[in-house]
Formats: sequence, structure tokens, C-alpha cells
Amino acid sequence: VSEALLRLVKRLGRRFRALTMPASFDRELDEEMRFHIEAEAADLVRLHGIPPAEGRRRALAAFRGMTQTREAHREARGGAVFDTIARNVRYAGRSVRRRPGFAAAVVLTIALGIGANAATFSVIDRLLFRPPPMLREPSLVHRVYLAYSSRPELGREVSYHEIMPFARYKDITTVTHFFARTAMDGNAVLAVGDGANAREAPVGAVSASFFGFFDAPPALGRYFSAQEDMPPSGTPVAVLSYGLWQTRFAGRSDALGAPLRIGATLYTVVGVTPRGFVGLWPEDPPAAFVPISSYAAGLPFWAPGEAWWTTAGSFASMLVELKPGIPIAAAEAELTDAVDRGWNPRGPVLPPRAIAGSFLSDRGPTHTSLAKVASLIGGMGLIVLLIAGANVANLLLARFLSRRPEIAVRRALGASRSRVLSEALTESVLLAALGGLAGLVLAQAGGSALRSALVSPGALSPIAGDPQTLIFVGLAVVAVGVLTGLLPASEAAQVDPVRYLTAGRHGETRRVSWARGALLLTQTGLSAVLLVGAGLFVRSLANVRQLHLGYEPTRVLTVHPDMRGVRLDSAQNVSLRQRLLVAAQHVPDVERAALNLALPFHDRWLAEFQIPGMDSADRIKLGLFYLDAVSPDYFATLGTRIVRGRGIQAGDVAGAPGAIVVSQSIAKLLWPRQDPIGQCVRIASDKACRYVVGVSEDIKFTQLSDDPGFVYYVSAAQYWSPKAMGLVLLVRGDAAHEREVIRRALQPDMPGDSYLTVTPLDDLIGQQTRSWRLGATMFTVSGLLALTLAAIGLYGVISYTVARRTHEIGVRITLGARAGSVLWLGVRQGLLLAGLGTSIGVLVAVAFARSFAPLMFNESPWDPLVYLTAAGLILTVAAAASIIPAGRAARLDPSVTLRSE
Amino acid sequence: VAERADLLQGTLDLLILKTLALSPLHGWGISKRLREMSSEALAVGQGSLYPALYRLEDRGWIRSDWGTSAEGKRAKFYTLLPAGRKQFAAERERWRLFTTAVEQVLRAT
Repeated sequence: VSEALLRLVKRLGRRFRALTMPASFDRELDEEMRFHIEAEAADLVRLHGIPPAEGRRRALAAFRGMTQTREAHREARGGAVFDTIARNVRYAGRSVRRRPGFAAAVVLTIALGIGANAATFSVIDRLLFRPPPMLREPSLVHRVYLAYSSRPELGREVSYHEIMPFARYKDITTVTHFFARTAMDGNAVLAVGDGANAREAPVGAVSASFFGFFDAPPALGRYFSAQEDMPPSGTPVAVLSYGLWQTRFAGRSDALGAPLRIGATLYTVVGVTPRGFVGLWPEDPPAAFVPISSYAAGLPFWAPGEAWWTTAGSFASMLVELKPGIPIAAAEAELTDAVDRGWNPRGPVLPPRAIAGSFLSDRGPTHTSLAKVASLIGGMGLIVLLIAGANVANLLLARFLSRRPEIAVRRALGASRSRVLSEALTESVLLAALGGLAGLVLAQAGGSALRSALVSPGALSPIAGDPQTLIFVGLAVVAVGVLTGLLPASEAAQVDPVRYLTAGRHGETRRVSWARGALLLTQTGLSAVLLVGAGLFVRSLANVRQLHLGYEPTRVLTVHPDMRGVRLDSAQNVSLRQRLLVAAQHVPDVERAALNLALPFHDRWLAEFQIPGMDSADRIKLGLFYLDAVSPDYFATLGTRIVRGRGIQAGDVAGAPGAIVVSQSIAKLLWPRQDPIGQCVRIASDKACRYVVGVSEDIKFTQLSDDPGFVYYVSAAQYWSPKAMGLVLLVRGDAAHEREVIRRALQPDMPGDSYLTVTPLDDLIGQQTRSWRLGATMFTVSGLLALTLAAIGLYGVISYTVARRTHEIGVRITLGARAGSVLWLGVRQGLLLAGLGTSIGVLVAVAFARSFAPLMFNESPWDPLVYLTAAGLILTVAAAASIIPAGRAARLDPSVTLRSE
Repeated sequence: VAERADLLQGTLDLLILKTLALSPLHGWGISKRLREMSSEALAVGQGSLYPALYRLEDRGWIRSDWGTSAEGKRAKFYTLLPAGRKQFAAERERWRLFTTAVEQVLRAT
């Protein structure tokens, strides 16, 4: 043993010397060759009696190229490893070219598997894992979330908010000690530039401290200072993004000092961010950054300066960087305490708990359902890859079987076992690499659809240029190449040339046929899992679509004025909206029109809601009541039914008694045994009562499932703050089509630079159903893809079996077997395999169904209909896939098959 | 000039091991002895001989030492190691089986 070890050490030493000091080997070889030529010359002189000079000439001639020998020797030592790889790749390349059809099938299969994964990987990575570039301490940076729980005694109805008032940010920053730095940040879409040059673009409104979170020295100029970011209105200085600097200022340094209008404010450019800097928004990189104080000063909701002390409105979120070593729990306790100090105990909401969550918005304090569906789709991608891998392994096994004679001959001619093994592996890795490349192309093309569905359609960097995704694809290629090639390669290496060539052909070895069966079971099983997933999502989507919302969104458009710095007083605001309402009512395609304040899933308003005889603290504990202010015809426009009393009417004007309509749930909760009509309610700072005039049906307002339905409506004419109000219109035709017609009809009434945004109500609700639509689409597509792959695999295996049993089938037919029974022979095998695989898959799906449950909508994850449909589909396809080769067998002419043996 | 057979891939190693089985030799000695033993039918190009010697040594089948030739010149001598002897026996067996099989095929009508 010690001798073997010594040899090994010596050998390794030699290898090392060959790599590091090739010259010493060259010198030794030269000396050896000189000796060779001298010896040959001396030999020639001795044998033929020629003069020594002639002998030397002949010896040299016979040696044929010392340089070539030197080269060959060098290759044998240093380049041995690379040489083998190069040779194997050349061999694999030839082998691939010889069977283009086979290669195309394998490459396409792998491309689908890897492409699906590359696309989902890049999305999931962005949604859930990757910190934005240049962030200094990603592990210490957190977004502050406020978790409101309106009925803590029930332990539910927690809602998370990341935007908070500036006053609260100030409180937290001054009283806490656990944070190295804090910042306030928002990302708003504003018009950048003047006149025809103006473009809407994301703009980062951030406190001066924001840039300290990053290790990103400006490419030009400087960032703004804390002195330039002081309330009430800051200094109008802006930092350009690298991209905007390039496009608008062609990268010139005289951009510094240039004026640039952003929103309503004229800014002076003081700096440029480095290339690649996106703040916290990789998907919506801001075109410029402005002091948050100057941004807030331009917001229309508050009186000048009010934004700095009010706790009633929120417009940005807060970022903190923990001091190293501070536990999250301690930091959260300190944050909660700081928020509690400044809380108004008489406000409409209980003090929230503060949470230091992820700065990635889809990860947040809890993953959004989009993020959850994205992870599920990531898992689905892996299943597709597994199925693709199983299919490729099966194809490679079949290929190995057909190439066995060639391998046997090559082994007989001296190709070593390890050489055959490494060649086979090289071929499968080469195919996987080609598949990976094609997969990147697929991911680039088809994946952008997925990415724009999941990640906001901002500036998407190409998948192919993303290093993380490329590393991921590289790893996937190696894994697929090695794993799929391992069995065929080891089988190839075990071909015994002598026995194979002398004893004639063999059938499949038991290992191969076992493996092919197992691979098929895996494929059908996983297909069953995907199809079950598809079924569950499709049913959920159908349930969502059938849901009674309490309004009819399909033909409704919402109209929202954006004042862009045009300041109107209260009376002007009222008359502007009246003008818009009248103008809308005169558009021929508009059936009904009304003013409103809140929008389902989009704009929520809270105000204190008090009734006589109930302490306001007790009222708060009942839940969050959402405020809407509406004009007559609102309920008819949205299709919300009035179940008792009346809606808001033309007579409910300023000066008349206050009118209020409450939802059924509110009525039931507050006046369970009394008539709600005529009850007194005080909203916000009301001195006099508003009287309940009607009860409306519940609507889905904050969530699609289990919405508490606490919404109440006051008359728009009796509402104190008209500047936040918009319009809703019921149109005759298709809402999306009418959108531009309406915008053009109403825009002339807008003063100055202000403009209107018209959005179909369906779009706002569509955001809510996005996760189900996405799940249904992705699972259906991949489920059908998986089923196709499984069908191909099944077809291959049945064909092979039938081909091997040709003789036997011939005998059977001769002995009088009917075509039907021969057909059944093949189909039965296919059905058995598929049935077994499906059963396994269904069991797996049942076991994992629980984790699907939160993503379903009114759908049991164990819905038997879904499982039965999936199983039935697979068995039908399996029967169809095996009936073709089985039919071929049934049509065999026995006289031909029997003679051929 | 006698026609010379091209060496089948893999057989060169077998032949080198065979020449060394008798006694240690230097590079030229191996090529000379191969020519003699095959009655000049097999000639090994130096371009393949020396790399092959390197490979065999790398696998631990032969060993090389600098010594003095019969003419008193410095030369590198190759010696068969026990592992090489075992390898030679195995290769020879494979060769025998293979030629028998090929013969059998060729003889069949």
C-alpha cells in the first residue's frame, strides 16, 4: 500500500512538474531524441557500411520531424485532460450531426425545461431574493410596515401598510436608538420635462439620508443635502438617473445647473447617479430623484405645510438600517413604541404594531399572493424540468440500445471503458448545453410575457445578459446533462465487446427496461401533479369570475383628475367636478354618470364614525368602516342594489339634513334589532347628525374573499373635501374601447396643465385576480406540455416493445389471434404504465394539496372532479399514444415477420 | 520495401509492453526491437512512440531512469513495472479474444 501511495505521489509530482515546468520535459525529450538519432545513425553505418555523415542524414530523414514529436509529447503530458475533452466534444458533435432528428428532439425538450426555469428563476429572484444593486448592507436594511388590526380580540383582519405620515417618520427617527440610519422614500409617476418634451416617468421622492444606504458615489455632481430637504418645501434640486442624463442631456457635464420640470416644480439639476443605480426599484427605476420635502409640498391633498405635521395622510414609506447586532425583535419593539407615542387615541384606528420587513415589496411582511404564486410557478418549472429530464434520459437510453453494436466494435478496437463512458457523458452534456442555449432564447422570447405579467412592466433587463440567471442555467445544464446521461453512459461502458460480438444481439438489459419504466412513471406522475394544479387554478379562476361583487365592473370607467400643480379652492373644485359630470352626461355613449371618492381595491378613505350611545373606542374595535362620498345615480351607475330605503338623491345638498347610506353589514352590526333608517351618525368632526336614509348591499371592497363589507356613503354635496373626488361612468359599449373617447370629451374642461386619467374599473379588479389568472395559464400550459412529453415517451417505449415482440406477435396471429387482442396487448401495457404513474402522481398531489389551499378561491384543494379529470385525460392520451404502435403490430403480415427471423 | 501495417489504435501500448517484458530498453532500442520482432513489418513513428512512453509511465506501468548505453552514451532506459506486467497479460488476453472473434467472422461463409 505504501508503495502504491509513493507511486501516486510521484505521479502527481510529475503531473505538477509537467504543468509548471514544461521546459525541463522538453530538454529531456530533446536529449532522448538526439540519442535516438545518433544510435540509429551508428546502426545504419554498421549495417550498410555507409559513411557516418550519410548515416546521420538517413537517420534524420527516418525520424521525420523532431518538432512534431515534441508537439505530440507536449500534448500527451500537459494537455492530456483538455485534449480528451476536445476529442470527446468533437466525437459528440459528429454523433449529434449524424442524427439531427434525435438531437433536435432532445435539444427542444431540454430547451423547454430549462427555458421555463430560466424565465421563472429570473422573476422569482427579482421578486423575492435579489437586493437592488449598490445597497450597502442588504441584511441590515428593512422597510417599516405598520400592521393594523382592527379587532385584535379576534386575532384577525390584520392589514399591513407601508406608507406612513411624515410626522410619524420624524417621531421614529428622533426617539429610536437601534438604527444606524433612517430614510423616507416614495416612487411616484410624474411628468418629467416641459411641453412636448414632457414624459411620465417614475421619480424617486426621497429624504437626503436615502443615498447613505447605498455605496454609490454620484457619476457627476452631488446628491442633495439634509439642508436642501427641509420642510416646508425644501430646495428644488434634482439628481438625474444615469439613463435620463444620457438621453436628455447626452451625458454632457453642463447638465449640472440645468433646469428641469418634474411634476409641477421647476428643479435645478445638481448631480447624476452612477450607472446601474435604481434606488430600491429595479423594475421601475426612477428617472430622477428629488427631495421628499419638495415633492410633498406639491401634493394636492393638504394645505401648504400641512404634510409635515398631519398624521391623517400618508405619502411615503420608511427605510431603516439596523445597527449591527441589534435583533429584529428589539428593533420592532422600539419602532412600535415610537409609533404608539405619537398616536391619537381618539382616531378611527387602533395603534398598529410596527414590523421591520423586507425592502422587496412583494416579500414584504408577508409574501403577496403574487409572490406565492410565483414561487409555486417556480416549483412547477422544476417539475417541467424533471419531466423533460426523464424524457431525455429515455430518449438517450433508446439511442444507446440502437448504438450498441457500434459501441461493441469500438470497445473491441481498443476504446477503453472510461473512454466510452466519458464520450457518452460528453454527448449528453453537449446536448444539454445546446438545449440550455435554446432555452435562453425561449426564455427571452416567451419569458418576457411572464415577466411583464408578474414583475411590473418597467425596464426589464434581458434574461440572457443577467449573470445570476446565466449561472443558474449553467448549473441546470450540467445537472441535466450528467443525470440524463449517467445511465446510458454506464450501460455503454458495460457493453462487453467479446460477448456482444460473438454471441449476437441482446435485448434490453433488465436495468434498462426497469429504468425506462421508472422514467415513464415519473413523467406521468408529475404530469398528473401539474394537471391537478391546472384544474385547481382554472376552477378558482372560474369561481372568482362568478363572484358577486356588489357592483358590475364590466362597463364602468373611472375618471380621475390630476391637477399637476394647478391649485383650486374648494368652490372651484366643486364646480370643476360639476362641469365634468355634466359634460360626461352629454357624451352619447355614457348611460349614467356620478361623482365618487373611493374605489374598490384602489382608494380607501377612513374617517371617525360615531353613533350616539357608543364610546368611540368601542366603535373602533368593531372594525374599519370605509367612507365614500357619492352623487345621485351612483348606485345605479355601479349596479349596487339599495335593499332598504333610498340612495343619495338630488335633494341631499349642503344645508339639507345630512344623508347617509350604510351597507347591510354595518346596519346589521350596529342596529341588529332596530330599524337602521333614521339613525344618527356623526362622521369626522360633524356637529350635527347625518341620518341613515338607506341600506345598500355589501360590496367587495378590500378583498375578494371574506370582505367584511363595511362601507358607508355620504352625499357628495355634503362632503367637506371635494378635491380628491373623481367620476364613475356607465358606458354603452366596451369600456376599454370607450376610454379614449371619454378622455377626449372631458379633457377640454380641465384647467392649465391638469389632465384626466380614465381607467376601466375592470382593470382595478383585474389586479386582484392576477394571481389566479397567472396560475391557471401557467399550470395549464405546463400541464399540457408535460402530457405531450409523457405521450412521446410512452409512444417510444410501446414501439420498442412491439418491435421486439414482432416474432411472437407473428406467431400469435398465425395461431389465430385476432387483431383486436393484439391491439389490446400494446394498449394494455401503455395503460398499465400510465395508470400506475397517474396513481402515484395523484397521491403526491393529494399530499401537497394543503400548501395550495391558501391560493385557491372557494375551491377545495381536494376537489375530486379535478383529480378525476386529470387522471382521465392522462389515461386517454396514454391509450392514444400506445394505440399507434400497437395498431402497427396488429396489421403485421405473419408470413413476412416469421420469415425475417 | 516491405509493406508496413498501420498500427491499430491501442495496440502500440501492448507492443511496447511486450518489448519491455524481456529487458529494460531505451527509446531507440524499443523501436529497433519492434522492427526486428515483426520482421520489419511494423514500424513505430517516433511521433507516437515517445508520447506513448510518457503515457505508460504516467499510468504507472513503466519507469524511466537515465543510464549509460552500450556505446557509453547517456540514454533514458524504460523498465516494466509489476503493474505493467499485469496490464500486459490482460491486454494480451483481450487481443487474443478479439482476433479469434474476427477470425471466426472472416472464416464464416
